[in-house]
Amino acid sequence: MSPAGLAWRGLVRQPARAALGVAGIAVVGALLFDMLLLSRGLVVSFRDILEGAGFDVRVTATDAPPLLGPPLRDAETLAETVRALPEVRDAVPLRSGKAEATAADGSTLPIYFFGTGSRSGHGWTAIEGSGLTPSADAGTVPVVVNRRLASRLSLTPGSKLRLRGACGSQATALPPVEMKVQGIVAFPFDSSAGLTAMTTLPGFLRVCANESPGLAELLLVASKPEAGADAAVAAIRRVAPGLHVFSNEQLLDRLQRTDFSYFRQISFVLSAITIFFAFLLVTTLLTVSVNQRLGELAVLRALGFRRWRIVSGLLCESLLLVGAGGLLALPGGALLALWLDRILRTMPDLPERLHFFVFEPRAVLLHVAIIALTALLAAAYPAVLVARLPIAATLRREVVS
Amino acid sequence: MLPLLSSLGPLALALASATPAPAEPPKILVTRQLAEAQRLQIGDVVSISGDPSGRDPKPFKIAGIYEPTPDPMRLVAKRYEARLHLPDLMALNADPKDPLSAESVTAVNVKLRDPADAEAFGRELAARVPGILALPTARADDGAGPFAVLERFHLAIALVTVLGSTAFLLALMVMRAEERRETVGILRLIGISRRHILLEVLVEGLVVATAGAVFGVVFAWLTEGAVNRFFQWRYDTALVFVRVTAPIAARCVSLSVPLGVLAGLAASWALLRRDVVALLRR
Repeated sequence: MSPAGLAWRGLVRQPARAALGVAGIAVVGALLFDMLLLSRGLVVSFRDILEGAGFDVRVTATDAPPLLGPPLRDAETLAETVRALPEVRDAVPLRSGKAEATAADGSTLPIYFFGTGSRSGHGWTAIEGSGLTPSADAGTVPVVVNRRLASRLSLTPGSKLRLRGACGSQATALPPVEMKVQGIVAFPFDSSAGLTAMTTLPGFLRVCANESPGLAELLLVASKPEAGADAAVAAIRRVAPGLHVFSNEQLLDRLQRTDFSYFRQISFVLSAITIFFAFLLVTTLLTVSVNQRLGELAVLRALGFRRWRIVSGLLCESLLLVGAGGLLALPGGALLALWLDRILRTMPDLPERLHFFVFEPRAVLLHVAIIALTALLAAAYPAVLVARLPIAATLRREVVS
Repeated sequence: MLPLLSSLGPLALALASATPAPAEPPKILVTRQLAEAQRLQIGDVVSISGDPSGRDPKPFKIAGIYEPTPDPMRLVAKRYEARLHLPDLMALNADPKDPLSAESVTAVNVKLRDPADAEAFGRELAARVPGILALPTARADDGAGPFAVLERFHLAIALVTVLGSTAFLLALMVMRAEERRETVGILRLIGISRRHILLEVLVEGLVVATAGAVFGVVFAWLTEGAVNRFFQWRYDTALVFVRVTAPIAARCVSLSVPLGVLAGLAASWALLRRDVVALLRR
């Protein structure tokens, strides 16, 4: 009989024990799989959002997170300078503020309000209507809105939207500005509850009339594909040495060390605990199983079974137990990840497209490798017990007892 | 002591190199993190500018170093902050083109005699001074804040680990019951009833489960300091990350003891249902 056959018979002889062992490993394996997904999920998801925006370099005044630091001065001139660089395809200044709209029931709706320079690509997904194009009529202020705002105010392309600026830190009583909705779009960083509107830079200054012209919180830059983001970053740093210039990868690297580090550490700690737990479970099951079958194993050895064959059988038993649990852990982990992701995504102001648990083939490979290693390590101690089993003394003890 | 202080965000001001000043400059406080990062000491004179480029700096003397109030919302932010007398801060940030800037503040903190009046106070103030927004500092516990979400996430993880532990426990109990198969058979043979044996298992399970639960709580309580120190070092904060409180310990014990007892009973009952002859393998 092969070691695998021996292992299989050993397991099916105690079905309740084997089933409970597999169930335990499946549960901790599911948690391990989820922690592997969580360890890189935010980075993968955030990279996807960043790349979806169509820009791979960003410029800010300081190293504060984008939109949270002091603004860039003379932003349109800076954009022109950057746009003229051979490594750069497009450079778009972005202003951010807040505005208020009045709902049909008379209540005030706070809105995230952005002003953007003209761009060759949109950086958003158009759902209805066109993108943001300056109107031929100087009196008309164009605006694109997200679906949630469109639905709250029953807006369609061509509708009028009246916004009152609330951009500064001080309360003001600016008159509302009438704008023409050119499109309903999905912005990459839209939160699940946020109402967002974006207009041109002159439109922004019309609504936020108390804001100084020439400022921008952020300069979005798209590098030329043949040059790449790193070359664009270096080129911009040369022409604007006092500013903070960073690529998507640099931003992700920074987020991984700061904002996302909590989840990376949680995933590391829980992965370590689950691996230890699985190791303990399998070691205990196999050790007790071996102790209960010492007589039987001594008989097999006396019948001529080689030591390596018995030890291999034990390793196979461990691999079967952990392998079955590990396989069940994959669909279980996927379902658990959906549940945990849904819980975490209820955090306020998160981008709607951001996920904490993101499937990657490398997570499955890592999961399989860890599970296999755990199975081998867990079988080590019982294997030593079996390898050192004194045949004659064990058989005598078995007969006497 | 500084009678009136105002906090500066780390982005508002640029800290230039320490330089001696001939006259006694105004005093400031800096955070421990800023002092450590820039090797600042009490009595040092630093130059601070209201412009990100460091233009037009003004000298200030460090009068003290303070630990900033821990803020979970700013866990990963470097707390490079300084506190200035409000007139000094306003002079530093004054915009010559805007006369109002020398008389404007971002916010005024108000302490009410009765905190329950916060909403009413906000409404009354907004009615008396249009354009003023008064908000209570206490956040409504609507379960939507980031920490409420994190609590739900940790609870979900705890539920999964309880499920895994239960399977582990049941497997162990099944093995333990199997090991005592012959002993139970002999006890049955000499006339001890199933009920008595089950009661013995119940008491034994209760003692073992209680000991295990207490060990778990004591272990958590003993390692609490190490976990806190690690994360406080990692994030350079005075925040407390783990605290084993009496309600949490009670919740753990109330969950683990019944689970342990039930697992023991279930495994033993599976054994006791068998015939005495089968138990003795005869």
